[in-house]
Amino acid sequence: MTLSIIDWLIMLVYFIFVLGIGFALKRYMRTSNDFFLAGRSIPAWVCGLAFISANLGAQEVIGMGASGAKYGINTSHFYWIGAIPAMVFVGIFMMPFYYGSKARSVPEYLRLRFDEKTRAVNAFSFAIMTVLSSGISMYAMALLIQTLGLFRGIIPDQYIFHVSVFLSAIIVLIYIFLGGLTSAIYNEVLQFFLIVAGFAPLVWIGLRNVGGWQGIRHTLPAAMTHSWRGMAHANTNTLGVEWIGLSMGLGFVLSFGYWCTDFLVIQRAMAADSEVSARRVPLIAAIPKMFFPFLVILPGLIAVSVTSKVVTPEQKNISVTQQAATAATGPGTTTAPLEDAHPHGIVPEKVNPLNGQPVLDSNGQPVYNYDLAIPVLLLHYFPTGILGLGLTALLASFMSGMAGNVTAFNTVWTYDIYQAYINKKASDSHYLWMGRMATIGGILLSIAAAYAATNFNNIMDALQLVFSFVNAPLFATFLLGMFWKRTTGHAAFAGLLAGTAAALVHHGLTIPADTASGIHGGWITIVHHYPSDMAQNFWTAIFAFSVNMIVTIGVSLVTRPREDHELVGLVYSLTPKPVESHLEWYQKPSTLAYGVLAMLVILNLVFA
Amino acid sequence: MGLDIRIPLGLIFLVIGGIMTIFGFITRHSAIYSRSLDVNLNLGWGLIMFFFGLAMYLVGRRQRWQDDPVNPRPWER
Repeated sequence: MTLSIIDWLIMLVYFIFVLGIGFALKRYMRTSNDFFLAGRSIPAWVCGLAFISANLGAQEVIGMGASGAKYGINTSHFYWIGAIPAMVFVGIFMMPFYYGSKARSVPEYLRLRFDEKTRAVNAFSFAIMTVLSSGISMYAMALLIQTLGLFRGIIPDQYIFHVSVFLSAIIVLIYIFLGGLTSAIYNEVLQFFLIVAGFAPLVWIGLRNVGGWQGIRHTLPAAMTHSWRGMAHANTNTLGVEWIGLSMGLGFVLSFGYWCTDFLVIQRAMAADSEVSARRVPLIAAIPKMFFPFLVILPGLIAVSVTSKVVTPEQKNISVTQQAATAATGPGTTTAPLEDAHPHGIVPEKVNPLNGQPVLDSNGQPVYNYDLAIPVLLLHYFPTGILGLGLTALLASFMSGMAGNVTAFNTVWTYDIYQAYINKKASDSHYLWMGRMATIGGILLSIAAAYAATNFNNIMDALQLVFSFVNAPLFATFLLGMFWKRTTGHAAFAGLLAGTAAALVHHGLTIPADTASGIHGGWITIVHHYPSDMAQNFWTAIFAFSVNMIVTIGVSLVTRPREDHELVGLVYSLTPKPVESHLEWYQKPSTLAYGVLAMLVILNLVFA
Repeated sequence: MGLDIRIPLGLIFLVIGGIMTIFGFITRHSAIYSRSLDVNLNLGWGLIMFFFGLAMYLVGRRQRWQDDPVNPRPWER
């Protein structure tokens, strides 16, 4: 791939702005609160956009595009079922405790509500997870740059991967080091708008080419263009998971575990300028989030629908006549040829990076590299100029994912590990300094993680695995902690450990179909086969959550609860409800929540 | 924070949109647009981005944010 000077210029402008924001904010970083909490002075809409942008990393753009190409529009469940309800819940019910308890981080809330050891479990596991995620993001970005040959001709081929890793690491390091969380949030807002600006014309031109949504429905099998069809049983839909596993595993356990307890996203809401703003943050974020499938999943579907480079009017006529001919032969045969062969469109075959040979599966069939669906589509449609914008959008998404993890890491490290266990009584300026050092440390660990990154075909599967071990049991602890005042610290601690152990054991005892035991599961012994690794992930989460819930309730009943007066502001039944009488009806968070839920139902019905 | 995000946001869209518009205008009838189905994406989308940037910049300049650091901070009240 050869880029023109215009493409480089657009990318350069982006990097100048990213660093410029860091330098512009440096003078506002006077205390540790400014650095870690953005001085709690950011308006709700800015936090809201940062809230989704921080999550818009590699697993989102590349992974969702890949899943769109692989599974179809039912990937949108990761948004409509797997994000929106949880975002509404955290805004309406949980944010008052996070923001109102004056905790500076999610692990710190756990210390206030439970005890030191529960906080320690969460702080350490979270710190490891952020570094891993950031490393995977970095790895994916470097791999993509290498595959696309972005620097070809400028840097020798064997150095491209390393240069990409270190270049992205240095840029993220500089702007967070200088401007802390504010810098990360501001850049995330910038990244949000750039991602929309880069992908919206791609979807528009792609849809024009394949004949709109109707054209995609004509080309692809019905299972790929309906989000709910065949969900009654795991074998009748492309995800290989049935609706119970989907709604409980993804929709409840994993999604609530992520959006309601993950400090990476909660930190953005905690930077808001007031409690009512903080409650609005996830709700504001939910609105663009709901429509993101059209920006990141739809390109995947377009990539497998495109048949030739550019369809000329004559070719269009031919294909229309062909379709008419197939349709005329009877309804039963219309989709038959497509059902056995999954369409691949312009998705390239996977190539072994070591010897340049195509990768074959166990049946000798070529393996397709779905992770390249979106990048290939960008190269397919975008002429020079806007191609620079598209690549900037792609790079922006990787950067925002990395930066989000790094700011969450430096805060948890400084407040919940360093201040809690290593140096309790240092001055505020010392903690500010430590935050900056933690930023450097976090980036170095991410680089290490990037080099240790695994060789999963679909990045999202790997991340879901990590999330299901760490996050799935977590939500049970928060749910009981916030809504049942009887829950004790010992119980929360025991429950968390039991939940994570349950996730590990379940993963060790089960295996997805057609895989060898090892990293995919079944490393103890195999007692159950799941139709897909996604089904296995969802059920791992369900088991972890249930075991945590049962153990926490059980231990709570035999240990001594804390006095009621100590739990004011931390538990639902003992905390005064947020005062909303001064707000007009349309300003109330609950109005926004109802609006979001109504739109969610409509979207599900349209694409059912 | 003393810096309104809409100012850098507006500026980056003004600059990138501007570059794309000018480049799109120069390459109006170029063959490079055959891959984008003969649509001049640089000119059209560049203009949209330019005006979005302009709107953001003007709003950002008009509204002054509170000076920082806020004293007392919300959690100190």
